[in-house]
Amino acid sequence: MIKRFLSLEWKQFTRASYFQKGLAIKILMFFAVLYFGGMAIFMGGAMFFILKKIMPEADPIETVNNFMIYWVLANLAIRFFMQQLPVMNIKPLMIIPIKRNIVIHYLLGKTVISFFNFISLFIFLPFTVVLLVKGYPPVYVLFWFLSIMCINMALNFINFLINKNNTVFYAIASTLVVLIGLEYYDIFKISKPIGLVFNTLYTNPYLVVIPLLLMAGLYKINFNYVRKGFYLDDAVSKKAEKVNTTDLTWMNRFGSIAPFLKNDVKLISRNARPKQVVMMSFFFLFYGLFFFTSDVYYDMPAILAFASMFITGGFLMTFGQLVPSWDSEYYKLFMSQNISYKKYLESKWYLMVVAVAISFVLSTPYIYFGWEIFGMIAAGALFNIGLNTFITLLGGALNRVPIELNTKAKAFSNTNGFNLTQMLIGLPKLVLPMILFYVPYKLVSFDAGLIVLALSGVLGIVFKTFFLNKIERIYQKGKYKTIAAFAEKK
Amino acid sequence: MISVKNLSKSYKGIRVLNIENLEIPKGQSFGLVGNNGAGKTTFFSLILDLIQPTTGQIKNKEILVNESEEWKTFTSSFIDESFLIGYLTAEEYFYFIGELRGQTKADVDTLISQFEDFFHGEILGQNKYLRDLSKGNQKKAGIVATFIGNPEVIILDEPFANLDPTTQIRLKQIIKELTQNKDVTVLISSHDLQHITEVCERIVVLEKGDVIKDISTSDATLKELEDYFTGSVLS
Repeated sequence: MIKRFLSLEWKQFTRASYFQKGLAIKILMFFAVLYFGGMAIFMGGAMFFILKKIMPEADPIETVNNFMIYWVLANLAIRFFMQQLPVMNIKPLMIIPIKRNIVIHYLLGKTVISFFNFISLFIFLPFTVVLLVKGYPPVYVLFWFLSIMCINMALNFINFLINKNNTVFYAIASTLVVLIGLEYYDIFKISKPIGLVFNTLYTNPYLVVIPLLLMAGLYKINFNYVRKGFYLDDAVSKKAEKVNTTDLTWMNRFGSIAPFLKNDVKLISRNARPKQVVMMSFFFLFYGLFFFTSDVYYDMPAILAFASMFITGGFLMTFGQLVPSWDSEYYKLFMSQNISYKKYLESKWYLMVVAVAISFVLSTPYIYFGWEIFGMIAAGALFNIGLNTFITLLGGALNRVPIELNTKAKAFSNTNGFNLTQMLIGLPKLVLPMILFYVPYKLVSFDAGLIVLALSGVLGIVFKTFFLNKIERIYQKGKYKTIAAFAEKK
Repeated sequence: MISVKNLSKSYKGIRVLNIENLEIPKGQSFGLVGNNGAGKTTFFSLILDLIQPTTGQIKNKEILVNESEEWKTFTSSFIDESFLIGYLTAEEYFYFIGELRGQTKADVDTLISQFEDFFHGEILGQNKYLRDLSKGNQKKAGIVATFIGNPEVIILDEPFANLDPTTQIRLKQIIKELTQNKDVTVLISSHDLQHITEVCERIVVLEKGDVIKDISTSDATLKELEDYFTGSVLS
């Protein structure tokens, strides 16, 4: 049975049209995987010696255990943003004689062979080997390693729950925020007891049963959760939502792009996916708090430039990067209706500009950190409006993954739009402001950096028509491919 | 109105459509029949520039469809549910299409009020999003939306499928009225030979992408078509 699933899986993977996208992206992804994998192995091998060198008086394994909390957090964060959860088309499987449990076990099992699980393995396996070679007691070391791997798997399953279930997401997210806050303001250092926990795990090998049980328990919770969702709600009971009608006629002042803007507002307010994404973009506003409150970054203005851009760029990053995909469900209509591609793109551009402007207004409390910081945010906002919007639209031309608008966090649908490809396309968005700021900053002064960053944005606004025309041509070229990809049912 | 020259479409070397020459004059009601895979939807998609022709060209009112977007101003179509915006109510959808085609709200209201009997009280004022309507009702909304903004060319892919008998009969009347004055060119495809012979003055039969028959509809047409399709079963 499992063999058959695997073959189905492989066919779905290789036959999907978005798989057949640019060779360049595939190569880039291959190198990214190779790079991160290699780095992990290297780090794992070198960790012991580095720690020994930095802190000669401390036992490296204890130091590692004390820092384990950061591994857990980073692990969870990276997973949340990047790990693609397995999708399986269960509808056809529901009416043929396969035991439900097999399908679910298979689905959960599939998450185990994710690259993100291997990253931790790559780090801790070489470290464990080094420990053994250095003569640490094998029983202790091996059971510790086993515990770590169990926790790694537990995190994998927690991530599954977070992604599928909003309540779990908010519960865990708020717990983390509280804990980080307490830690930060020295009220309660959660890292201490966590370090203690890992050290205890090391010194008491039999305690491996706890992570083991934790992993098994989470697996069971996932299993039950998925099993409960193993029905086609829509097929059984079709419940119609109540319509919310808001008067949007005031938007008519935007002229010829007004219909699109009104439509986008409805798109966001009436569909689960865009709602989630816009919520997420709101959190970007607080991004600056991490950077501006810590002195470490004051010596790294390039990082500050990056952070400033992030504050006003949340909507751009989350909503904007999926631009034609939002309309994937009715793309054929848009392509055959009385709409020019340029109008369509222009309306999306305005939407992003408005979003940046709103974020900028909301970011005024950052004045508290000084005018220099606020100047940076302003320059970042200009960059976002003038250049980042176009880069985002350009990236959209490569984005051919259809989105199911109203499917939120259901156990069997893919809700994670933020994948590795998206990130690679988005890389210039993150790096460019840093370069634009850093080069003149290094050569001339801080103000020069600000001015260049701001001017780059102004330049984009001045040449808007030119950029839009260019981008339109690229979209026009990929039009048939995009239509075909969007027509593909997931 | 629509002129097709040397048009062909191949997928990976397999030809799915091949029309050497086809002229559809203005105001004609043009019917397309053929078994599954005959190329009906492919042909319509090519006219709408949703897919790229392998060879040849289509002109819609002298405009090359894959080079200019101008044809969009006077062409409207309903091919499948992907022409609907699921999160709008039917009214909102009509107004949206109206705005795209330069119609005021009042214009749209006047137009759709003529179709109240077609809607059978299940579309307007329902306070339901289009995605929550049944397939048949979605289709009704999609079809009526193509009438908004005085289009000169209307393309409907299998408009009769999924409709209830009452609506089928009403749709036939509507199409007949549309083409009465010879202003509007209507292209429809159907598997229902009876409906299509009733509505269309010209019927083209496609088989595996080729034009097999090009008939000016008469009383004998239905019989001719039935014989043809029976024949393809027997042979």
